[in-house]
Amino acid sequence: MSAVEFKNVSKSYQDNLILKNISFKINDGEFVSFLGPSGCGKTTSLRLVAGLEKNTSGEIHIGDELISQPEKNLFVPTKDRRLGMVFQSYAIWPHMNIFENVAFPLRMAKKPEDEIRKSVEEVLKLVELGGLSARMPDTLSGGQQQRVALARGLVARPRVLLLDEPLSNLDAKLREKMRKDIREIQQHFKMTCIYVTHDQVEAFSMSDRIMIMEKGNILQFGTPQDIRANPANEFVRNFIS
Amino acid sequence: MKKIALYFLLFILFAVCVYPFLFLGESFSFENGHFDWAIYKRAFSSAMTLRSFNNTIIVCGSTVILSTLLSLPLAWLFTRTDIPGKGIWRTIFCLPYAIPPFIGAIAWIYLANPSNGILLPIFPWLNIYSMTGLIFVMTVFFYTYILINLLTAMEKIDPSLEEAARISGAGSLQVFFRITLPLVTPSLISGMLLAFLSAIASFGIPALIGNAAGITLMTTQIVLFQKMASYTGLKLSGILSLSLLALALVVFILDYLISRRFRFSLVTGKVARPSLTELGDKKKWAILFLTLLAIVLFILPVGAILYAALSRVQGEHALANMGLQNFHNIFLKTDETWRAVKNSFILALGAGVLCTFFGYFLSQSGKSVSKPVNKIKEAFIAIPYAVPGTVLSLALILTTLSLKLPLYNTLGIILLAYFAKFLNFSYRIVNDGISQVDQSLIDAAHVAGAGSFQVFWRIWIPILRPFLMASFFLVFMPAFSELTMTVLLTGPGNESIGTLIFQMQEYGDASGGGAAVLAFFVLLVIIGMNLILKLATKGKYGL
Repeated sequence: MSAVEFKNVSKSYQDNLILKNISFKINDGEFVSFLGPSGCGKTTSLRLVAGLEKNTSGEIHIGDELISQPEKNLFVPTKDRRLGMVFQSYAIWPHMNIFENVAFPLRMAKKPEDEIRKSVEEVLKLVELGGLSARMPDTLSGGQQQRVALARGLVARPRVLLLDEPLSNLDAKLREKMRKDIREIQQHFKMTCIYVTHDQVEAFSMSDRIMIMEKGNILQFGTPQDIRANPANEFVRNFIS
Repeated sequence: MKKIALYFLLFILFAVCVYPFLFLGESFSFENGHFDWAIYKRAFSSAMTLRSFNNTIIVCGSTVILSTLLSLPLAWLFTRTDIPGKGIWRTIFCLPYAIPPFIGAIAWIYLANPSNGILLPIFPWLNIYSMTGLIFVMTVFFYTYILINLLTAMEKIDPSLEEAARISGAGSLQVFFRITLPLVTPSLISGMLLAFLSAIASFGIPALIGNAAGITLMTTQIVLFQKMASYTGLKLSGILSLSLLALALVVFILDYLISRRFRFSLVTGKVARPSLTELGDKKKWAILFLTLLAIVLFILPVGAILYAALSRVQGEHALANMGLQNFHNIFLKTDETWRAVKNSFILALGAGVLCTFFGYFLSQSGKSVSKPVNKIKEAFIAIPYAVPGTVLSLALILTTLSLKLPLYNTLGIILLAYFAKFLNFSYRIVNDGISQVDQSLIDAAHVAGAGSFQVFWRIWIPILRPFLMASFFLVFMPAFSELTMTVLLTGPGNESIGTLIFQMQEYGDASGGGAAVLAFFVLLVIIGMNLILKLATKGKYGL
């Protein structure tokens, strides 16, 4: 598990400044939510950690490793960052069964077959999908597919688990259970998690700390109690009430 | 009233699109009311028939395999990398789709014929009149069917499927082979079958290059049998047509089954760009690869046609030999040229208008009929599209002759053939347009007091304009330079540009450069129309 740090990070598309010189540090083992309205830069920040986008300037660190600094022409590609990610659309590969979907990160790491088998069965049990490993994705419900995505994100013990609005396609009841389950799993592994959401209930019920963003700036970064007690400005007050 | 109109439409469809093939089958298989085993036995024990069947499978099979190997890296470069100028590369590499294959054949004959090919001084071992030459020219045309299918499919994949693989530690090639390729496999197979279908039905390249190399395919064998003009010859050509039809049908059914078997939902809700692989140092190699390929696939053939058109004497490579003499001869001194241009223009215009008109009403009628009737209608429309042009022409000739319709040897029968063959394009495009129009737009017009005709004229036509235009152009272009069907249907005075070029190249004045002049003219028309179409539909249609 690892800390994540941004130092003066900016990101622009053509003339459009998406992230405006932001800096923050997420501690090892911490669960942090990026919260804000759409277009605030929260998903972009997450994708910068993943390496799915390149920052325009500034430094990004994971643990002790500098993974991106355009000024030095330094960029560690996504595949070498050892991360896990859960996508909003689940992104379960329809041509592989559940086992192969979850085993994929281990296969890429060239782990021996018996270890793969053991790890996959273990993690599937953890997300309550034990016994479904031979099924094809299109035979699973949305909630089950989301658990497959979670299992795939966890299986290789990533340095950081990234979650991009993972619950927004689920119905309200399922969402509540998944919230609890994700939090429990995170505490079980003491894993660093970054959770992107526009839903303040989600953010406040799951996170150790919350980073509230608007128009490419960080408005406030603190514990849920902190933010409730002392909202940094009018926008935060309105957004969380 | 609506019902009657619809059944009338269905009747026309049946008469033009289905009946001729039933008639073809019946008239060749039965003799005095009995199934004629003898002629089948004779046809299938004939060495010529069997050889043409074998050749078709070998040539078209190799064409499809090579086309796939060519299309995969191109599709990857155009959709998954940061190579600059993607739009232009795509247009160049998709353009052969719109160019009539026989023009490519002529270009390659100028370039690499063994007696005075333009490339011979540099590559003396070249010989286009060979199995390799035939497969090569087929490949550089029919790969576009696969490439276009692949490009569409690769743009539809939800980017997060590939991103998830990258997060899991997969590099660019692993992402392509383990995720992207399996996901587009259904589209790839469908493109391969389509390319195979078009290749077995093609006539221009096999006739111009295959015949000279002594390699007969099924289509060219059918025409050879038919040209024998004897009763047996006609029968044999009919039976070979039925075999070709059967082969096409098998491929068509295979495609249908496969597309039903694998149907992953790839379409993403939000519009997202796939993340692009940065080629880095390899970028210049990729550009070099594309440039060389573009020279071979596009610049050399077009250049050869222009060069031959300008050469006063073919095969003499000197600046003094260049001039506009051939253009002068063809356009000002040959009566047939203008007759052919006029005929092609009338036919293409007629087919474009007719197909678009019927395409519109056939799509609209889909709303007021039951599902099974609609399915039957769509099958009727698709049949002539799937049937090889050679077979379609033969069936139309037989039918009109036996019904004593005064169509044989007129432009009318050619127009009928174009209509049947290209209606499928129009129907699909217009149907696509109509299905995108929300019913509330129409209801709102009715509420505002518009009658049926006003709704048609003031709402449907303006909204559908890009689709109707696309439909017209996409029929006009292939009809304008059609050869495969026309070559069988044409008669004295009824030559089209396609058949005139073919005759000049095949029989007459190969030395005069006339074929090259006309081929160049056709190229200009087609590339120009493509450009107009692309601009007029804001890039949705056109290459």
